Amino acid sequence: MNPITPIINGMKITLSHMFMKPVTLQYPTERPKVAPRYRGLQALKVSHSKAKCVACYLCPTVCPAKCITVEAGEDANHNKYASVYEIDILRCIFCGYCVEACPVDALKMTGEFELANYKRSDFIYAKETLLEK
Amino acid sequence: MVNLTIDDKQVTAPKDSTIYDAARINGIKIPILCHDKKLKPFGACRMCLVEVEQMKGRQIPACTTPVTEGMIIRTATPEIIKARELVLELLLLNHPLDCPVCDKAGDCDLQNLAYEYKVDTNRFSDLKFQHEIDYNNPLIERDMNRCVLCGKCVRICDEIVGYGALTFIDRGIETKIGCEFEKGLDCEFCGSCISVCPVGSLLARPFKHKARFWALTNHNSVCGYCGTGCNLTLGVKDNKVLTTIYNDEQGFHKGQLCARGRFGYQFISSDKRLTSPMIRRNGRMTEATWDEALDLVASRLKGGNEVAALATARLTNEEFSLFRKMMLESIGSKNFDHSAGYAHSALSKGFVRSFGVSASPASVLDIQKSDLLLVIKTDSYETHPVVGFEINMAVKNRGVKLNILSDKRGKLSKLPGAKTAIHTPGNEVAVLNAICKAILDKKLEDSSAATIPGFAEFSKSLELFTPEKVAAQSGIPAETIIKIATDYASAEKALIIFPIGLAYSGHTESLASAAANLAIITGKLGEEGSGVLCMSEKNNGQGAVDMGFYPQDGGMTAQQILDSCVDGKVKTLFIAGENPLVSYPDSKKVKSALDKVEFLVVSDLFMTETAELADVVLPACSYAEKEGTYTSLDRRVQYVKPAIRKLAQSKSDFEIISQLISKIDGKESGTPAEQFSEICSKTAGYEGMTYSTLGNNGAFATTAIKASLVVPEYTPVVADASKLALVTGSVLYHNGTLSQHGEGPVHVCPEAYLELSREDAARLLINEKDQITVTSESGSLQLIAKVSPRIPKGVVFLPYHFPAAPANKVWSGTAVTMVSIAK
Repeated sequence: MNPITPIINGMKITLSHMFMKPVTLQYPTERPKVAPRYRGLQALKVSHSKAKCVACYLCPTVCPAKCITVEAGEDANHNKYASVYEIDILRCIFCGYCVEACPVDALKMTGEFELANYKRSDFIYAKETLLEK
Repeated sequence: MVNLTIDDKQVTAPKDSTIYDAARINGIKIPILCHDKKLKPFGACRMCLVEVEQMKGRQIPACTTPVTEGMIIRTATPEIIKARELVLELLLLNHPLDCPVCDKAGDCDLQNLAYEYKVDTNRFSDLKFQHEIDYNNPLIERDMNRCVLCGKCVRICDEIVGYGALTFIDRGIETKIGCEFEKGLDCEFCGSCISVCPVGSLLARPFKHKARFWALTNHNSVCGYCGTGCNLTLGVKDNKVLTTIYNDEQGFHKGQLCARGRFGYQFISSDKRLTSPMIRRNGRMTEATWDEALDLVASRLKGGNEVAALATARLTNEEFSLFRKMMLESIGSKNFDHSAGYAHSALSKGFVRSFGVSASPASVLDIQKSDLLLVIKTDSYETHPVVGFEINMAVKNRGVKLNILSDKRGKLSKLPGAKTAIHTPGNEVAVLNAICKAILDKKLEDSSAATIPGFAEFSKSLELFTPEKVAAQSGIPAETIIKIATDYASAEKALIIFPIGLAYSGHTESLASAAANLAIITGKLGEEGSGVLCMSEKNNGQGAVDMGFYPQDGGMTAQQILDSCVDGKVKTLFIAGENPLVSYPDSKKVKSALDKVEFLVVSDLFMTETAELADVVLPACSYAEKEGTYTSLDRRVQYVKPAIRKLAQSKSDFEIISQLISKIDGKESGTPAEQFSEICSKTAGYEGMTYSTLGNNGAFATTAIKASLVVPEYTPVVADASKLALVTGSVLYHNGTLSQHGEGPVHVCPEAYLELSREDAARLLINEKDQITVTSESGSLQLIAKVSPRIPKGVVFLPYHFPAAPANKVWSGTAVTMVSIAK
């Protein structure tokens, strides 16, 4: 075979790619489009300006990574609510069982995937940060 | 036994059992909501429907139908399953589906059945109930919207507790469970209703929303309050005791508990527990390491009889035994005692001279097997509520006669057929002697009575106690005394019950002997259902006596130890768990003793009033954190193992004492198990016991008795007509001073009060809840007045548990104190 031919073939591919849409995402200036069923950071749903969560403890029970901590409280109207709701995101495996187990549809998984942080303590997401924005 | 066929299986069952019982004992499960094995059959829920071939295939409730020979029963035909599904559908029609917020979820019979029968839709539609929910009660939350009207709470409150706080009110679809006139719950707060509720209608408020049932680890244990020795299950999560869990398989009482047992557990995981040893430096308590503290204590535990020790009757047998060994062998002091020195004398002196052993010749199990109960002091119910439940059941279900000798009326007086003879305070011994006298006069004594050692002196000593004389003195008519005597003597089996304790300073060796004499001369001893039951106040009161942790061979009693602290004969005092400043009589004496003693060591769970005066405070741990055995009032030896890890730096008293021993004379003390085998080798009745043979049910330490008649000492109470007779005692919700650290008991009974009669209240113009001042020779005390119909004229009752208003400011240890009251 002519030693030039493979080079020409290679250059053809290179040339064709120059006119194709680029694959590389210029993150962070360009943002990825997250699929609707992507399982990112959990969010506590809000209804009537309160978290819907009733602290039934089903999510910490079902959680295979044991990363959810719930403590129930009683509000002025004697309703049960989560006085503490924490997710240790370093442990979370984003399986989505918590969302599946929730009997009151109070939890969802968002497209939020930028979870890097500087301190270990910052990976424990408290109730305030988990509330849906 | 009856032969029958259940689901094609040939089984046998006792003659008096129901189909449900027959199936249960043969391992066939029939679903049910309204049945508890302690209660009588009721048949409310219709879940246990079965088909009996002989009854033409009709569906009949298994829980109310007795078995008959040759019955052929089917428990799960398609028709029955359909019927059960319908029952569940109808129950769920009105039952709110709020399982996510209901604390019962996970332990709910209705939830489990709905899951088992897959009832997830409903063909009917109706409104849910809109009953008001009682959130105000500190211990029992009632949500009648969730109720399935099984009636278990109503029945347990009536049949076992004997209070009757709950009942069915209204009719038809409006029916609900409530209190009289729909008022709030104001009862004994034993929580029995909560324990049997199959749904989330009755919930323990202290545990509300704390954890889910499936997140708890269950640990069997033995209650740390009174001497009954009830078994309980602690619900533990994250090394914290969060609740007590009902288990109807546990103990002679089948899981039945009283208010403090069920709701008084919070002291175990309290934030106020001591976390590290403390040493007084320059007058201030400062934290120290264990080594520093124990070195200091060991250096002061020298000088033989200059060292003395007081312990609470809540230590384990192993701790008592090791503590005694340390005192005798390592230190060389005979000065150690427990329970103020007098609260154990009924056992350690009275029963020893009357029966030859320091234990009651009867058990709690005898109550239901007896024909007649003679209870001394209605307080027996307050001091030992679960024994009280046994008395309730004996009287109500088995028709056992109940005679009471007491200085006031009480819960027991209200039982059907109960006869209460009210005597003036402090005359128990005289009345018992008069009963003996009446028996001898009427020749009702046992044929062998005259052969018993001491009979001649005893019958001679009774000359002073003719029913007529005692009637004048005690206020009980002579006929009543004679009636009690004839009732007692003519009953085939009769049991005498009396409590002892720090607050019952009159219940000493003479009362024990007087009661023993009565049982001995009538021969009501040594068989099932007869005997004398002395009920020690604290969970190991009997064990402390069995281990010999009281002065023998010339050692000083607790009172002498305190006196010697004042005059300098005792230089180092080691107090383990006791809070004498609040619970021992005569606070002035105790205070000066604790102030004057050179070196005071206190090991306790909390910074008690006594610990505040100490030179070294050692953090001890509760029964839920240690291993050992407790001996209940009827000498059942029970094993406890740790339910949680030791809190902070606390150590068990066993560890503290064994480390002190190794610091004093370099000896190793081994483990509690080794100590227990040493105990078993030398304690009568404990032979052959090991931790593994004790298991979950424990074992009785029985010893043969040798009866002899002893003349009880009796000093008449000097009455003062211008004053009131103050008697001290325990209240239902508290036990010693430990229950002050349990939130449950404190919610119900937060402060000290003085209970006085209506007549006296009217005469002194005192109303309920008035602030009054009680003055005696020893001092005076501010208290809240409680006017009560149960107290006779001229008597006032003062509970002793409360550090904020300690009874010992006005009470110097006499059985009766003469006091005056002013507003």
